[in-house]
Amino acid sequence: MENLIHIPKMRLRSYRFDPFPYWIVLLIFGLIFGAAGAYQVLRYGLQVTGLSDAVPWGLWIVIDISSIALGGSAFVFGVIVYLLNFKRFEVVGRLAVLLGFLGYSTAGLVLLFDLGQPLRFWHPVVFWQPHSLLWEITMCVVLYLNVLIAELVPIILEHPFFDKNALTERYNWAQKLSDWLKLLAHFLHKIGPALAVLGLTLSLLHQASLGATYGVLSGRGLWFSPSAPVLFVLSAMGGGTALLFILSVFVFRVMRPGLVSDDVLYDVAIVAGGVLLLCTYIRLWEWAVTNYYSFDQMVSIQKNLLNLVSPYNLTFWIGQVLFGTVSGGMLLAAKRIKKFRYLIVAALLPVACVIVLRWNYNFAGLIASITYDPFTPTVKLHSYIPTWQEIAVGTGVISYWLLGFSLAARFLPFRSLVAHHDD
Amino acid sequence: MSQNNQEPTIEQKNEISRRGFLAVAGSAVGALVLSQVIDDSAKAAHASGHGGGGEHKWGMAIDINKCIGCNYCTYACQAINDLPVDMQYNDVTLETTENGEEYYLSRPCMHCENPPCVHVCPVGATYVRDDGIVTMDYDLCIGCRYCEVACPYEARVFNWREHVTPNQFTPEFGTPEVDRRPRGVMEKCTFCEHRIDAGLERGLVPGVDTSATPACVVACPTGARIFGDLNDPESPISQELSTCKVPIRLREDLSTSPKVYYFPPRPQPQIVEES
Repeated sequence: MENLIHIPKMRLRSYRFDPFPYWIVLLIFGLIFGAAGAYQVLRYGLQVTGLSDAVPWGLWIVIDISSIALGGSAFVFGVIVYLLNFKRFEVVGRLAVLLGFLGYSTAGLVLLFDLGQPLRFWHPVVFWQPHSLLWEITMCVVLYLNVLIAELVPIILEHPFFDKNALTERYNWAQKLSDWLKLLAHFLHKIGPALAVLGLTLSLLHQASLGATYGVLSGRGLWFSPSAPVLFVLSAMGGGTALLFILSVFVFRVMRPGLVSDDVLYDVAIVAGGVLLLCTYIRLWEWAVTNYYSFDQMVSIQKNLLNLVSPYNLTFWIGQVLFGTVSGGMLLAAKRIKKFRYLIVAALLPVACVIVLRWNYNFAGLIASITYDPFTPTVKLHSYIPTWQEIAVGTGVISYWLLGFSLAARFLPFRSLVAHHDD
Repeated sequence: MSQNNQEPTIEQKNEISRRGFLAVAGSAVGALVLSQVIDDSAKAAHASGHGGGGEHKWGMAIDINKCIGCNYCTYACQAINDLPVDMQYNDVTLETTENGEEYYLSRPCMHCENPPCVHVCPVGATYVRDDGIVTMDYDLCIGCRYCEVACPYEARVFNWREHVTPNQFTPEFGTPEVDRRPRGVMEKCTFCEHRIDAGLERGLVPGVDTSATPACVVACPTGARIFGDLNDPESPISQELSTCKVPIRLREDLSTSPKVYYFPPRPQPQIVEES
């Protein structure tokens, strides 16, 4: 059963062309821009950034936590395919693994530049401090990246290149290597359920801890919240699955027609919509808790100041509540709406919601911080403007993500192994 | 796809479920072992990282009524700890009381008994010594700045750039006594731990003998800062704290239990209001 990859063409007046090479060149320019910024950061240190002692976490941390959140579909579909045994999601699940790997490796890459001592990135793995949420996150992300690689290897190895190429035809050792790789892929596929359990455990741990990273800091009232971990997990599941839906439609419905039925894609949308509505519901309760049930004057001053300098309330009510409810409802009714065009627009909103939530979370507590003076504590406003170096590194890692996805979408077969075994 | 291939035989089914079970059980055991390891090392970290309980417990008291806002404490700190102009472990700010009276608040590190910065550090680069001092291992620090975000007192400063210029506060406020830290690590006030350690070895009493006392305390021209052993009832700080009716600590609501106490500003004399 050979899948044909349909290559979409772009039309410019009467001229039809394949945009892929131009797109790749564009991404390579993005990578070069990123390399220029990265050089500056590594050479001159973090003084080239807009970060300060008042706002020490900026754009990179937002990219970091957003890309981890948008890789959240990998563990959701690992569970759906291997533990709940819905084999019809197998092919979609393999795309989810790819998105997970890209999300986590992007996060690791951008974090490397965010460290003051990038060469000591391995310290948490060796010098344990298990009280620290950041230690736990680092360990989980390192281990989970290995799980994702183990899940990704069979997907890459099923490319026909590894079966038969110029080397395997000429040399015996290359043929042996190819056979060995096939065995490896087979083995990794067989331990899929174990990897799914491990992936679920690690993901729930660190996705929650990313919220707790902010949630445990009692000194910053806007962050201090026990619901942050739940929100981070649910928004990662919802936003990650919404992104998976968008890209699944592109990779399977447009480029590999017939590989995944439309019903499966609708089901992916329904999963995203359901989780998203649940997340919005909890977000509303959290809003009520911080603003109504446990009124804290400092938090209210912080919010007022944030509203002065940014559309903070608006991003909550429109960006997270309205968009969350509308697009959650639309995705949940995917089988009635049927038109993929509308569903994709609806799925783009939660992806934006996730990024807005992460952005607000990261900056809210930093931009408006509470002073420590004993008699008349106030809220101080700080500002942060990313420099071109930060934007360059951000562009670079996002280009890496897009490049990885584009190459995979173009070349990897994403075959169903269940169907394959039956041949 | 032939029909008889669709249904696996009973043996096959058993095989699949047995494999699935083994995989699940294997990872469960793995998770158990991992949690045990984490638990053990957490205990170890608790024993070593949660200092205090040693012979000494160093603390500081700052009399707000005596502070004139001259910033000598800050400059002496920058001289002794070899800091550039834009990095301050100590900070002096002009604040107001509820009555609108102005006063100077000088703020070193609080050396909390329950320090948020120590809890959050992913590598254990910042830790509490047996004598209660919250200090740093600059060789371990990766520069993630979580401690800076966690500290409610803004006591932590990041080393954004390589410090290559000569010390601006030498020799007026003292000469550097510690090595310069590399770029990209977090720094903090250490209560001049090097002075305390060296002083104790020579039989000096920190808080009494100036060469064993933090530079900021020695530099204060009005004697607003008092340093000493909170465990020793005879130490100057314990004596002063027992005479002050209500010493206050900053952000008590956060349960960080600072070891830096403040003597609150007394209400200004009535004569000022009458005239």
